[in-house]
Amino acid sequence: MVKHLGVVGAGTMGGGIAQVAALSKIEVVLYDINDTLLRQALERIKADLKKGVEKGKLTQEQTTEAFARIHPRTHLGDLGHSEVIVEAIIEDLRVKRDLFKHLEADSKPTTILASNTSSLSITAIASGVRHPERVVGMHFFNPAHIMKLVEVVQGTQTSAETVQRTADLAQQLGKTPVVAKDTPGFIVNRVARPLYGEALRLLGENVASVEEIDRIMKVEGGFAMGPFELMDLIGIDVNLAVTQSVYDQNFGEPRYRPHPLQKKMVDAGMLGRKTKRGFYRYDETK
Amino acid sequence: MPGCSEGKPKGDFIGTTRRSNDPVNKKRSEKKSEFGRSSKGSGHAKAYIVGESPMVEEYANLCATKGYDVLVQWNSPVKPAPDFGRASIRQTAVIPPDVSVGIELTNNDSAVKRKNLQKLDKSLSPTVPILSSSVTVTAMEQAGWINQRHRLVGFCALPTFSEKSLAEVAPTVFSPKETIEVVRLFLGSIGKEIVLVQDRVGMVLPRILCQIMNEAAFALQEDVASPRDIDTAMKLGTNYPYGPVEWANRIGIHHVYSILAAMEHDLKEDRYRVAPLLKQMAQAGPWWKPE
Repeated sequence: MVKHLGVVGAGTMGGGIAQVAALSKIEVVLYDINDTLLRQALERIKADLKKGVEKGKLTQEQTTEAFARIHPRTHLGDLGHSEVIVEAIIEDLRVKRDLFKHLEADSKPTTILASNTSSLSITAIASGVRHPERVVGMHFFNPAHIMKLVEVVQGTQTSAETVQRTADLAQQLGKTPVVAKDTPGFIVNRVARPLYGEALRLLGENVASVEEIDRIMKVEGGFAMGPFELMDLIGIDVNLAVTQSVYDQNFGEPRYRPHPLQKKMVDAGMLGRKTKRGFYRYDETK
Repeated sequence: MPGCSEGKPKGDFIGTTRRSNDPVNKKRSEKKSEFGRSSKGSGHAKAYIVGESPMVEEYANLCATKGYDVLVQWNSPVKPAPDFGRASIRQTAVIPPDVSVGIELTNNDSAVKRKNLQKLDKSLSPTVPILSSSVTVTAMEQAGWINQRHRLVGFCALPTFSEKSLAEVAPTVFSPKETIEVVRLFLGSIGKEIVLVQDRVGMVLPRILCQIMNEAAFALQEDVASPRDIDTAMKLGTNYPYGPVEWANRIGIHHVYSILAAMEHDLKEDRYRVAPLLKQMAQAGPWWKPE
């Protein structure tokens, strides 16, 4: 059982992971270079825990204890006691590689170094460390405190023991782990590509409209949301970036080729819900 | 344009064909169809269904539940005919003259489909529509196989989806609006709204869904993850109703393969090549099942 967890990066994902761990009775050091981001993350966690109490899912005592288990820090060396460190910083390979080198130097030899990356290769992230066998992917889904899935990603040199310990940690956090080899998009971001890609192709070929395709996928197919509704929710720019990344990492495999329609939407600044316009409009009063 | 447009297709589907001159019988049939009452004897609209299992069984039961007298032609060489256990479903190779709608449900074998459609076209009154699954062959190509091509309208028929309340319908350039209206009324009478889509191989749902299953098959053959983990990941990570592996098994791997192969043939892009694992599973039957 893990008792001390380090989380690097106090963004949405880092904060969510810290919250889940603290609720699972794990002492968490939440690190960010930016003190303001740390404070904002703590505010978000506090507000979310409060919501949990209001909904009757948590007691006041549980939230007070959980909150006290999160220790915000701005010094990387404070992560030294962690048995597992989960990185959740910007999706930039160079930055992550540098960070992992530092984490290796500052941590115990048995510490698992996990990355929450959704799109970068674990093998590539591990390429700068001396012991890549303890580097692993631990891909949480947003929002991390709600979504049950964790993809445990085995890099080329990740040991079986590291994979097992990471999967065990996921279960300790109340999550359902699945194990995937380090391939572009892992499982979800890869197998989900056709939902968006084919929907865009159908739209581009004028087989059906945005509304019709969504309606067919929901009513006939039983999906909770249509592909265009989903792209609007995820962010059309984010969705395009994931597609582009999987496409590039596969050296131009045509199954993952992005669609010009999506690029055009991004160029127009129509990014979905967050800009009030995407495949649908969100700025009109109903 | 001849055919369906002659049948005064106003109001209910049932009244559009031979009963257009029989207001009493029309009224009765409309009512029974509308409320899905099933009983013995004549006076009910007849639906003639031919095609592949399990879609034939699914549509026969659906139509019978909605008050139709259903005639089924069972032409599966590998599977014995089922016992439907309903008086309103009969098996017969003879197409009687008073059938109100012909339904063709073959996705896997286009030669058989062609034969079935030609038989329906020859036997059914010229005003009777033929609703034919157009997932693997476009409705337009099918219309070219028959003489009364105005009466054929494509629709999306996939195993396990027959009870959904929405149906993709693909008219052809020969389909007069009256035929489409008749089809709309018929599908409405068995609980389905329609969405008109362009007549393309794969239509909308099968094209997207089977490509997801194909991608899962590629991931499986590359040993990225176990079938169970792929299914778990897609259900928990993206809220899919079923995992792609279990879903392909529910539908039937050979049905999924037929759709993918038809898209590969029609679209002629590398993007649509079928995963070898999926093709082999369709040929050999699944040698594993999700646990």
